[in-house]
Amino acid sequence: MCFLLLLCGAKNTCDAIMALGRLACIRLACLTMLIIAGSAYAEPSVDGNDIAITITGPGANPNTDANTNPETNPKTDPNPVVRFHAWGGSAQVNSYLKWAADRVERKHGIRLKHVKLADTSDAVSRVLAEKAAGNLNNGSVDLIWINGENFAAMKKNALLATGWVSDIANFALTNPSNNSAMVTDFGEPTLGMEAPWGKASMVFYYRKAHFDSLNEPVPQTLQALLQFSQQQPGRFTYPVVTDYLGISFIKYAAIALNSSNQSLFYSPVTQNALEKITPSLWTYLDALHPTMWRNGEYMVRQASQLQRLIGSGELSLAFSFTAAEIPSAVERFDLPRDVRTFAMSDGSLANVHFIGLTFNSPNQAAAKTVVDFLLSPEAQAKKQRLQVWGDDTVLDASVLSASQKSMYETQQSHPSAIDKSQSTPLYAEPHASWTDALRKAWEERYGARY
Amino acid sequence: MVNIAPQGSFNRVTVGAKWLLLCLLIIPVVAGVVGVFLPAMGYFPAIGANQFDLSVFAALLDVADIHTMIWLSLFTGVAATVTAALFAFVLLSVFYRSRMLSRLQIVLSPFLVLPHAGAAIALVFLLSPSGFFARLFTFDSSAIASANEGVFLFDSYGISIILALVLKEIPFILLMAISVMSQPLIQEKINGYFKAGTALGYSPIAIFFKLVLPIVFPQIRLPLLAVLVFAVSNVEIPLILGPNDPSTLAVAILHWFNHIDLSMRLQASSAAVVQVGIAVFAVFAMLAVEKGFTFYGKKWLQRGKRQATDKAISATAYLLLVVYVVLVVSAVYTLIAYSFAKQWTFPNIIPADLTMLHWNTVFDAVLTPLSNTLLLGVSVSFSALVLVLLTLESEPLNAAKTRASLLLSTALFLPLLVPGVAFLYGLVWFQQLILKDAVWFHVYVAHMVYVIPYVYLSLAVAYRKFDNRYEMVALSLGTSPMKVFFLVKIPLLIGPILVAFALGLAISFSQYLPTLLTTGGAISTVTTEAVALAAGSSARLSAAYVVIQAVMPLCGFGLAWWLSNVLFKPSTNITSTNKSSTGKSVRSV
Repeated sequence: MCFLLLLCGAKNTCDAIMALGRLACIRLACLTMLIIAGSAYAEPSVDGNDIAITITGPGANPNTDANTNPETNPKTDPNPVVRFHAWGGSAQVNSYLKWAADRVERKHGIRLKHVKLADTSDAVSRVLAEKAAGNLNNGSVDLIWINGENFAAMKKNALLATGWVSDIANFALTNPSNNSAMVTDFGEPTLGMEAPWGKASMVFYYRKAHFDSLNEPVPQTLQALLQFSQQQPGRFTYPVVTDYLGISFIKYAAIALNSSNQSLFYSPVTQNALEKITPSLWTYLDALHPTMWRNGEYMVRQASQLQRLIGSGELSLAFSFTAAEIPSAVERFDLPRDVRTFAMSDGSLANVHFIGLTFNSPNQAAAKTVVDFLLSPEAQAKKQRLQVWGDDTVLDASVLSASQKSMYETQQSHPSAIDKSQSTPLYAEPHASWTDALRKAWEERYGARY
Repeated sequence: MVNIAPQGSFNRVTVGAKWLLLCLLIIPVVAGVVGVFLPAMGYFPAIGANQFDLSVFAALLDVADIHTMIWLSLFTGVAATVTAALFAFVLLSVFYRSRMLSRLQIVLSPFLVLPHAGAAIALVFLLSPSGFFARLFTFDSSAIASANEGVFLFDSYGISIILALVLKEIPFILLMAISVMSQPLIQEKINGYFKAGTALGYSPIAIFFKLVLPIVFPQIRLPLLAVLVFAVSNVEIPLILGPNDPSTLAVAILHWFNHIDLSMRLQASSAAVVQVGIAVFAVFAMLAVEKGFTFYGKKWLQRGKRQATDKAISATAYLLLVVYVVLVVSAVYTLIAYSFAKQWTFPNIIPADLTMLHWNTVFDAVLTPLSNTLLLGVSVSFSALVLVLLTLESEPLNAAKTRASLLLSTALFLPLLVPGVAFLYGLVWFQQLILKDAVWFHVYVAHMVYVIPYVYLSLAVAYRKFDNRYEMVALSLGTSPMKVFFLVKIPLLIGPILVAFALGLAISFSQYLPTLLTTGGAISTVTTEAVALAAGSSARLSAAYVVIQAVMPLCGFGLAWWLSNVLFKPSTNITSTNKSSTGKSVRSV
């Protein structure tokens, strides 16, 4: 039953990341328009606060607790409450945050309250509504778990406090100067508005028995992958680009093949930029496709099928965004025992999720203390445990002290798990606009495979 | 014969039920067709498209590979239906007068009750390059499964789709034919022809093709066309087994309808209209094939040969039987073994060890889908049963061909003759306009559309066989029609009624597309979960779900059989004669 939980944990992390990425764009746009319309209408009126509350409706009703309850005032309250708005759909994440709440209460006397969201954009809407209502220093959201489009929306509307991340002592342990992924969120510079919390990075896994009997070295770079596939046709494939993992493979290949033009990926895509990077990508894929599983004629529709094909032995090499799912799949017998996980040495596409601090949080100091704890080697090591959550640490092993590193060591017991003491270069996610552009270009060239 | 025109309030109820049933069959389908036709013509106000023109179709024809998609849909559907029909007739010609027929039904029943999605998943387990058959024929224990030489699964010609459809349709066609042949009037006729044919020296197989089939075929033409329409437009099988460079049109439609970009709905709708066109074309192609067979059949008949390549036909029939036995046995073994397997690497044919882990996971997760499935199935099947019983009751005893009954017999096949992928999306559009949040109601209606025809067809046979004299005696003793219905007919027909109920359950259990579309994924059933898991990372969980998918309808039929024996003991002799014929028209769509 324990391993059952493990698998759920891995799945839930994936779900969590996707939930974070989801955004009710339309809802936000509508809200913004309503607010604009509402404030125009409200101008002759006396108090912007009241009007905004009426126009934003029940869904985005600014929480007035902070206004009415003097206890939450940070100046007077020795036990401030920090409200962490985070997706609550995963039992693993929820129990981890419960543990974290116990720790910060004991260590710092801060009460950390996990506000469980069904959809992160709900909280984004709420902060936006508060801003429109003129609630500039008594917001109901202190911390928020975000990345991708939600961050872009909050940044655009200036809903986050800026420059606070450098105050966090443990942030230095992420080695931001060497890991651009820690300060870039889907191509958007974070500008100190959000602190990295965890990451998912692309890992590859393979059947050791197959590589032994084929007498092939395990490919460590994108080029070596092509050579392997040409030597041993049919042992590798990737999902169609409508799948999250499929488009991620294309991003990885595009970045790895255009090392001299990498900066292009971190600003909005242009026709010019696309034309610069696609030739090498097409050359590579043209060579790779005929050597893939089923001669590249059929490509799997979902990432999950890669794991299944490794399990049945039809593939020898595949990849995933959730390293934790590999050992748990072995424990569930879905993958054979000879599966080994590794990261490509030329770089791994990394998808980092962050914690943002709202501009109107009444408990900024306490909230920063909470973030500092969540970034501590202790909290990060705990989070990375397969039995707890299995979410990768954002701390860079190369800047950790020996005693800090030792906290992670308990986890390398599983032979199929990735060796996390090795630090590998990370490629940050390209700017969000690249996803659609690359997908469209791929479909034009290789056909939309439904 | 006495014409008893039923009157009074009970009669009003039964006539009302008939019209309600007609509405339930016709309105969703017509609304659905209108709902896809409007966007196909460029009218979709939600995204600001208000102009009627043909530009959407022009855009559709510009889609790369669209011709291949259309061809693939048409080819797989027609080829599968023609092959399945021929094989079914071959089996029938060899076994129609033998005791093997009932054993044949037992062998075929697993494929009959298993939803299409389940059957397709089962075939993946058997035929994939690392599947059971590949394991069986790999003798080198260090071999590595290779997918690059395999023919089956995901092939661009759609052979795998055809194979799955043929395997799934043969039992249905066969049992439809058997149920027609066991109707008293037809049975009598066939017996007479058989005697005459034998006296003239024709072999039994020749008699079947020359004398029996021409009587039976017109009776199963409509069900056969329903099979054909399903075959050209179904989503589950090509989704699980078909190619994706390109896929069949139905799969592409599903993809376009579900696209985040709402403007893709226009393209999806026009493709759905094309899908209706494909179905119509396929129907005409099928009728042309039938005409061809009739034309040459007549000449063949005139030549008067007493045998019909009997040996080849017998050999084919026995071969088919062997194929089915092998498939059923291997599928049952593989699925059950997978659902308990620990490590099971290629090319071993038995798992290294067994565990309850996968079933524990399934039991933890299956409760909601299972209760949804049961709730939906029982309510749909029960209300369909009530409506159908009342409708049958509303027909005058001497069943004159009234306009309403003609309308009814056409309406029954309407949902089966209009491709689901076409009208269901239109239906969803309407459902978004009216009663947006009544998800259960919408899924209930969508299931009713598919369940009513089968429940009706299954019960009508029993009703037709029902000895009217029981009813007449009761009526002549002064009993009201309602009392006769409840105290005489229902107890006497309890066997077929329970079987029809079980059939309704099975049909409801197997619905994939109607459930998925009308609920937008909000209500999961065992079948929607199974299709989702077919693409999931765990072969073991997927296998367990197929087992559940197969066991559920079997339980339904088992319960029906057991209850009919327990509930009304005195009527056992009647229920047993009816049982053999009514359990046959099982088919999942």
